[in-house]
Amino acid sequence: MTPTPTKRALPSKESSLFRELLNLYETRQLKKGQKTADQILKKFPEHGETLCMKGLILTHMGKREEGLELVKKGVRLDLTSHIVWHVFGLIQKGEKNYEEALKSYIQALRFDKGVIARSPCAPSIWCERLDDDLLVCQITDAMSLNQENMNILRDAAHLQTQLRLYDGLVDTRFLLLKLRPNLRQNWIGLALAYHLNGNLVEARRVLEQYERSLKNVPEYDPEQSDLLLYHVRILEDMEEFTTALTLLDTKAKSRAIVDRVAQDSGAEAEQAWRTLIHCNPDNTGYYYSFFRSKNIELGAVTDPDRMSTLRLLQDLSLQNPHTNTPKRLELMVVSAEGFRPLANDYLWSGLQKGIPSLFVDMKSLYQDTRKRVIVEELVDGYRQSLEKNCLPDGAPNEIVAESDSDVPTTYLWTLYFLAQHFSHIGQHSRALSLLSSAITHTPTLPELHTLRGRILKRVGDFLGASVAVNEARLLDGQDRFLNTKSAKYKLRAGLIEEANDTFGLFTKKDAVSPGADLEEMQSLLYLTEEGDAHRRQGRLHYALKKYHAVRKIFEEFEDDQFDFHGYSLRKFTINIYLNLLSWEDRLWSHPAYIHCAISASQIYVELFDNPSRRKDVLSTGKELVFDNLDKTISRLSGMSAEEEKKAKKRAKKAQQKQEEQKKAAAAASAASAATTSTTNEDKGLDLTPQKDDDPDGIKLLTSPEPLDRAWKLLSPLLRLSISNLDLWFSVFDVAVRRGKYLQAIRALTRAKVLDANHPDLHVRLLHFRKLYESLPSSLPSPVAVVVSDALETLITREMTLETYNAQYLQQNHLNARAILGAAWGLQILGSPRDEIEGVVFGTLNPQVVLPLKTALDVLSFLKDISSPRANEFRLACEKIFDLSTVFKTPDQLAIMHLQRQGTLLNTPNVDD
Amino acid sequence: MTSSKKAEAVSSKVSFASLTQNNLGTVRKLNSVLFPIKYSEKFYSEILLPEVEDFCKLIYYNDIPVGTICCRIETKDSVNHLYLLTMGILAPYRSLGIGSYSMDVILQAATTHTKPKIGRIYLHVQVSNDGAKRFYERHGFRASGIDEGYYKKITPSGAWVLERNIEPLEGENNN
Repeated sequence: MTPTPTKRALPSKESSLFRELLNLYETRQLKKGQKTADQILKKFPEHGETLCMKGLILTHMGKREEGLELVKKGVRLDLTSHIVWHVFGLIQKGEKNYEEALKSYIQALRFDKGVIARSPCAPSIWCERLDDDLLVCQITDAMSLNQENMNILRDAAHLQTQLRLYDGLVDTRFLLLKLRPNLRQNWIGLALAYHLNGNLVEARRVLEQYERSLKNVPEYDPEQSDLLLYHVRILEDMEEFTTALTLLDTKAKSRAIVDRVAQDSGAEAEQAWRTLIHCNPDNTGYYYSFFRSKNIELGAVTDPDRMSTLRLLQDLSLQNPHTNTPKRLELMVVSAEGFRPLANDYLWSGLQKGIPSLFVDMKSLYQDTRKRVIVEELVDGYRQSLEKNCLPDGAPNEIVAESDSDVPTTYLWTLYFLAQHFSHIGQHSRALSLLSSAITHTPTLPELHTLRGRILKRVGDFLGASVAVNEARLLDGQDRFLNTKSAKYKLRAGLIEEANDTFGLFTKKDAVSPGADLEEMQSLLYLTEEGDAHRRQGRLHYALKKYHAVRKIFEEFEDDQFDFHGYSLRKFTINIYLNLLSWEDRLWSHPAYIHCAISASQIYVELFDNPSRRKDVLSTGKELVFDNLDKTISRLSGMSAEEEKKAKKRAKKAQQKQEEQKKAAAAASAASAATTSTTNEDKGLDLTPQKDDDPDGIKLLTSPEPLDRAWKLLSPLLRLSISNLDLWFSVFDVAVRRGKYLQAIRALTRAKVLDANHPDLHVRLLHFRKLYESLPSSLPSPVAVVVSDALETLITREMTLETYNAQYLQQNHLNARAILGAAWGLQILGSPRDEIEGVVFGTLNPQVVLPLKTALDVLSFLKDISSPRANEFRLACEKIFDLSTVFKTPDQLAIMHLQRQGTLLNTPNVDD
Repeated sequence: MTSSKKAEAVSSKVSFASLTQNNLGTVRKLNSVLFPIKYSEKFYSEILLPEVEDFCKLIYYNDIPVGTICCRIETKDSVNHLYLLTMGILAPYRSLGIGSYSMDVILQAATTHTKPKIGRIYLHVQVSNDGAKRFYERHGFRASGIDEGYYKKITPSGAWVLERNIEPLEGENNN
């Protein structure tokens, strides 16, 4: 045995006290434990292990700072004790500092009096595989390892999984199995570790060895079943389909297994898929696989296969009369020539049944324009017949015979379908007029109002859209979907307060605010939409606050997996656990996170380029807060004194509530602080969330390193291959400003692969080359070579940037975004403003297709360069986009809004 | 199609929902297009009372709200009268038997209602509205007189008063 350092050794009395202390901690008798520790420390105040144990106990009792202090002191006093390192690791794990915790665990194992400390290359087990010989000699010692060492190893394995250090994980799991081969989960743990590390062959060998060792497994054991499924999954991944099938046949009877394995073709697979279709005839995937087993790809059926495929689908339809799925697939497979009769049956029966999603269902067929035209002809034909109050000629016979009483609802759903159809193909005015007939016909169907909102949104009338969707909400106050939609449309329209009131109808009544509750509930929709709404209105600090709240949610998602590293092994839920791990690996690529990371980075870049923006936001910001659309509306509507009083009262009440809650929270924490000194209450080791000291995002706004913050938001996305141009533009914008030219040029290379001709890429290439040429040649040479080579392939050096820009404009002179890109290019090259304006106004050329969003971007570009012609452009857009309201001034908007609301209240006021 | 067959076809497509704070918006919307009158907030709070739940309904056809029927209970001389406040079906859904079916359902509910017992049902119809008068007469109502000047803001201002006694179910008439 290693000689115990003298200052660690305790006399027998204290030594037994220390053992008692460990026991008390294990059984969470915190108060007693603390007393015992104090007893030892009275005589040996420098005893590191005791100090650490006391620190650990104090942390459990909620005195984190004091505890941490003691633990650190303990570690310093006894650097070679495994106990102090273990304790330190536990604390770090509680703070979710997984890297440091793992280091402490490794230290703990190094100094453990068991096997590892004695083996000459002990630390290397963390980075390379052990020799079998070495392990054989260790195994004898293993028996002497106590439970605590096992715990350290297991915890270390969890940390390694969390950190995705799979090489080390294999070693840890291997050691655990060697030490305790009688534990089933150690076998699975090792197989999983090999699997995660990409070594399927070893994973399979471990499983087979384990299965051989099993005796007397009860029938229908769910754990055993999942393990076998896992075994099959490995075989499948290794493409050993025959072995996999044999294993399945002999071991399992569950149908669920079939759907993964029927991948190899042949009659058996075909039969398996038939069975599955019969079980769930609405699963489209089963049909695809069924046909794949016959070497037919349903999404791309070729002419020679067409007739036979249709016949098979008809057979399946006859065998499963209660499903529409094969009929829908027929519509996809059939050629345009044979489409009409099939579509007629499908559409008429859908409209007669009143299937609200019929259009969404049909939409994907529109890729074939001929089919789209046929759908339009058919449904518009129905409309005309129904308006003459008779059934269409082509309507399937059995339906005609049934009854004529469905006519009004069929007519209604026909109008609804047509409105969606025409809006989808860009004929919004026609869609709106169909919709208004439908609303006159039946004003009580919420779908009509939400669709009206959606169409108004598409034409850029966000206020009108929010009024329409709110109409739908008022029809059914219980409908959470309508509530959320309505509130979201209000946010889009800039009515932030109204939106919060609407959200508030469904949030917890005792929450500080609807927003606080929605954040607690991790509502990504609310956070992103309200962040965007604030950003549009220039309240950048609130926007940043919301975007960072989204990041916090994703950090929580990432932390949440930790518990499953242990749990899933114990419970043998292996397959779903593997799915979880791969989901977590892709976690950050969630669209909501990408959106928030990009938006926040854009704000940070803006703040960096334009530091005075902070002052603007803050000084006018205060006024801005009270000058949003809500306020403009109330100002213009001449809010009566009474209403104003009410609003003030409400604000005061909210404030009071907030203060009360603060007080209550403070009282609670004081109370708990008071009680912890007397009770045993275990608060655990996890860091409790800290109080938010920046509720308005002012600190985020005024942060001295906006680019570092932006980079932190973007960096989780870099290792995932994400095909989002805006992401790579943001990465470039941040990297180039931080002087990270390699990262910058890489981002542009990624972007060029996605869309070589994109205007935003053009602008950045210009920007980068101009900047690079102006750099004093101070880049270290390897970087300089890489960057200039890459730059060379991205943007030719054969012409001047001015010529390059002019050429780009010439080649894309009918593309509005490209025109804007070229104008921006001119701005970068320092051209005079009137020249830039001349180019920008080219977007109004009637030959140029000008989408609404681009028009908005052009307008904000003109404002950015302080163009005196910005208003001229705005007025032109107001004419072009006559249905839209985005080019109106806030005052105009507010008046429109009030007028619209006014018309709603214009019915004569008579009592019964 | 015979009338009994028609009634059968209708009853399978028509359903009713009790009024709650949450679907009141639909009632408001229907009232705004069905009647030339804007009803007071008092009206909307009264139709939510638990005692009239059987007599205040939204009427659905193929799962779409197409009509409404609302009553209140009045007590005069220790007799409980059911007063039909509003009844209406959206224009495109008329003549399908929905109104008749709904009227039957309400009359049936009045017959079986015990707390309180209903003795009579009555209502007002604008004197110009012959169609409505005929509709109620088909359902056993009789005109008992004209209330001149009943409507204050629409013309003609006169209203028929139509009424019908509610016969309690046989066997229950033991007092």
